[in-house]
Amino acid sequence: MTDSRWVGRSYETAPFEVTEQSIRDYMAAVGDLREDDRLVAPPTYAMVYGFDAYWQLWTDQEVALDVAHLVHGEQRFNFQRAVRPGDRIRTTGRLTAINSRGDMELVTFELKARDAEDRPVSDGSALFIIRKA
Amino acid sequence: MSTLDFEQVSPGQSLPPLTKHVTVEQIRQYAEASGDRNPIHLDETFARSAGLPGVIAHGMLTMAFANQMVTDWLGDRLLLKSLQGRFAGMVLPGDEVTCSGSVASRDDERRRLVINLVVTNQRGEKVLNKGVAEAEFPPRRSNTNAA
Repeated sequence: MTDSRWVGRSYETAPFEVTEQSIRDYMAAVGDLREDDRLVAPPTYAMVYGFDAYWQLWTDQEVALDVAHLVHGEQRFNFQRAVRPGDRIRTTGRLTAINSRGDMELVTFELKARDAEDRPVSDGSALFIIRKA
Repeated sequence: MSTLDFEQVSPGQSLPPLTKHVTVEQIRQYAEASGDRNPIHLDETFARSAGLPGVIAHGMLTMAFANQMVTDWLGDRLLLKSLQGRFAGMVLPGDEVTCSGSVASRDDERRRLVINLVVTNQRGEKVLNKGVAEAEFPPRRSNTNAA
């Protein structure tokens, strides 16, 4: 069981530099290839610019989540503005809850992404399920 | 593709479904594009040792499909204001998943739509449920001849 004293711990990504290549690689990977008049990232690209926040949580040796038994249970996003090449986005993730349900542990992670002018880009939350070994 | 006409949308209306055939190559490509190289998505031996039937697709790949179904229908990626869902089942290489959705409500004042979504596999099992998307349309251009 993950120690509940880590609730409240937060992680911040370095500014993520959005490039045309990164958006196009993402679009190709998910197969969402519809062209807009001006290139804009699909909204779920939020997982790409925010990914390092998730990674920092998963690899935090003190929190020590059992990542081998971790699966993504739920995800929510709110989108405040378009993401385009040239954007610099910083994402903060915060571990907000650790709950136990039967033989599962539920970990809630809340995220906020902001641009170089500190305006909101997106926010959201993830629920991770860890099956107790 | 042109943008959907808000005035033409009715509650209960279905969105055109979107079907995707998931492959090992696509999961690898998603891992590279997203940065998520967790071995449960890439390493068959590791995935089995973690108690999984084999490598599984990222939940966020399934959510990206749901995103695409909605934005293809809207005709404009910028109209999507929120998206959520619960990953109800694993998606394995070789699976064919189908996203479907319908309009739950239309708010004329705020020009917002709420869309309910589900993603099922080839056996009809839900792999994403409790899916909800919200879209917001820009204000209607005012008619200068109106009183």
